[in-house]
Amino acid sequence: MLKMTHLAKVYRTEVVETYALRDFNINVKEGEFVAVTGPSGSGKTTFLTIAGLLETFTGGEYHLDGVEVSKLDDNARSRIRNEKIGFIFQAFNLIPDLNVFDNVEVPLRYRGMKSAERKQRIMDALERVGLASRAKHYPAELSGGQQQRVAIARALAGSPRLLLADEPTGNLDTQMARSVLELLEEIHREGATIVMVTHDPELAARAQRNVHVIDGQVVDLAEDPRFHANAHLVGANS
Amino acid sequence: MDILPILSTLRRHKVTAALVILEIALTCAIVCNAVFLVGQRLDNISTPSGIVENELLQITANGIGDQPDAHARITADLAGLRQISGVDSVTMANQVPFGSSSWNSSIKLSLDQKRPTVQSVTVYYGEDIPKVFGVEIIAGRAFQTNDYTWFDDAAKSGNATFPKIAIISDALARKLFPDGNAVGKTIVTGTNEVRIVGVVKRLTRPSIMDYSTAGYSMLLPIRMTMSMGASFIIRTQPAERERVLAAAVTKLKAMDNRRVITEKRTFDDVRKAYFASDRAMTGLLIGVCVALMIVTALGIVGLGSFWVAQRRRQIGVRRALGARRKDILRYFQTENFLLATIGIVIGMVMAFGINLLLMAHYELPRLPAIYFPVGAVLLWLLGQVAVLGPALRAASVPPVVATRG
Ligand SMILES: Nc1ncnc2c1ncn2[C@@H]1O[C@H](COP(=O)(O)OP(=O)(O)OP(=O)(O)O)[C@@H](O)[C@H]1O
Ligand SMILES: [Mg+2]
Repeated sequence: MLKMTHLAKVYRTEVVETYALRDFNINVKEGEFVAVTGPSGSGKTTFLTIAGLLETFTGGEYHLDGVEVSKLDDNARSRIRNEKIGFIFQAFNLIPDLNVFDNVEVPLRYRGMKSAERKQRIMDALERVGLASRAKHYPAELSGGQQQRVAIARALAGSPRLLLADEPTGNLDTQMARSVLELLEEIHREGATIVMVTHDPELAARAQRNVHVIDGQVVDLAEDPRFHANAHLVGANS
Repeated sequence: MDILPILSTLRRHKVTAALVILEIALTCAIVCNAVFLVGQRLDNISTPSGIVENELLQITANGIGDQPDAHARITADLAGLRQISGVDSVTMANQVPFGSSSWNSSIKLSLDQKRPTVQSVTVYYGEDIPKVFGVEIIAGRAFQTNDYTWFDDAAKSGNATFPKIAIISDALARKLFPDGNAVGKTIVTGTNEVRIVGVVKRLTRPSIMDYSTAGYSMLLPIRMTMSMGASFIIRTQPAERERVLAAAVTKLKAMDNRRVITEKRTFDDVRKAYFASDRAMTGLLIGVCVALMIVTALGIVGLGSFWVAQRRRQIGVRRALGARRKDILRYFQTENFLLATIGIVIGMVMAFGINLLLMAHYELPRLPAIYFPVGAVLLWLLGQVAVLGPALRAASVPPVVATRG
């Protein structure tokens, strides 16, 4: 589903070059639920933005669903984002001027879907996340957990094959974080591929597979000496 | 395009949206009326005179009061002017089209009629005016030499020596006799009965109040003396005008060295002077319109830029959710189109109101319906041009903004 080989991402500013990713290799199979962990600044978000075609990369290869994406133009990338990928952000990223219904509708409109089908899908998605009764509410009128569930509904409504979540529970308390994760697990059981960045070891543990990123590279936890320092930290926190 | 979500977004930014809408509405209302007024002025400016403007010269000289030999002196002056090479014909006329002062009379169809049929018809005096002015006689005949009376004779001895015949303009003929030939009919000018012997195609009046009746004019067989603002009118070839004008002035001074020439000009100058204020007003109105439109455009650019900056994050999110650059561009264009449309609708109502006010206070005609679509298209275009910059900037917001803020 998602395969990166020797991928590199360099951020060039006037003063420095930052290697956010270097020789980055990952292979996520169709239907997998992968948790990506790693210290702050290690490149997790960078990986996710490239995986989600929000950004281009500097070197290496990235095949999404068998397609080498570096050849695609901006419109084609938009189309893939719209049809194949669902995004869930740490900051929810609902559009404050639109109510819940209209928020969920945004990606469907860009797909050029007919109004009746849009309405059906929106209500189904809101039903899924338990917020059908809030369709006319504005994001500011919802709790953080509810907003994130709307964001999940928005990601779900287009029935994407791949869900990308960047610390989806980062802004939520433990209770709400659990319910969001349960929702993701349910979606996963129904066949979606999920890649989730998280700092929370408890949530990471519930994924099928953990990928650890350090300094812009995927590392094998068992072999990397840096892991032990990190494991110590994790242990101290929990 | 997706109008409903854009509208509901605008509903949540009522104050800002209302300001732009109001700006567009005001501009629309004022521009509609101003364009109409400009059109009217331009119409006025292009009023035909009916005379051969590019062949005529006007010289006004100060006479020295009433002189016993006035008739002989005028006759001599005209004869002298005729001798100048290049002079085609000459007369002394009481007034000219687009002159600043006018001679007027009311017209009735019979002596016992209470109220005049036409309140104010301008009356031209001067020998051979149709020939010198180059006015075409389209029915009847011109005056003959023995038809003429001198102005001072006609004026001082009451009805006895007042001319018994007249030539009228086609416009006046149609007004007085809508369904028939005017030649041979009798009309009453002031208290004098005159018989119409000819009709000229067009002869416009001086000092026009109402352009719809500017073509109502009458000629009487009266020889003008040099009094009451009368002037020499010389017809020549267009290319000869400057030379002939200078020669004529020299000649007139040579014939009477106490004479003071108060005005010497081509008819082009007459027209130019007459419409100077219309042209100035046209310029002013156009200036005001352009200024208003620039201010409105800047307002739209300003608000557009503000909204793009404010919505940067959500633009990134929209891009992440599958919007193409084109979709973002179109979002802002559509939003502007909606604001402009609301503004234009309100502006139309205001335009109509302003027009009603102008009609009540300045006797202006009703704003013709054609100005509404013209104003609408103008403001739609203005809005689209103004919003293009901010909209392009919005379209260039990268999708990664969704994750990085
Ligand atoms: N636009 C950018 N320009 C320059 N450097 C950048 C840019 N975006 C990210 N970086 C750098 O790339 C590196 C990886 O950043 P990234 O956001 O992927 O880390 P992360 O693992 O998501 O961290 P966190 O857990 O704190 O979210 C960091 O050193 C960061 O400073
Ligand atoms: Mg991050």
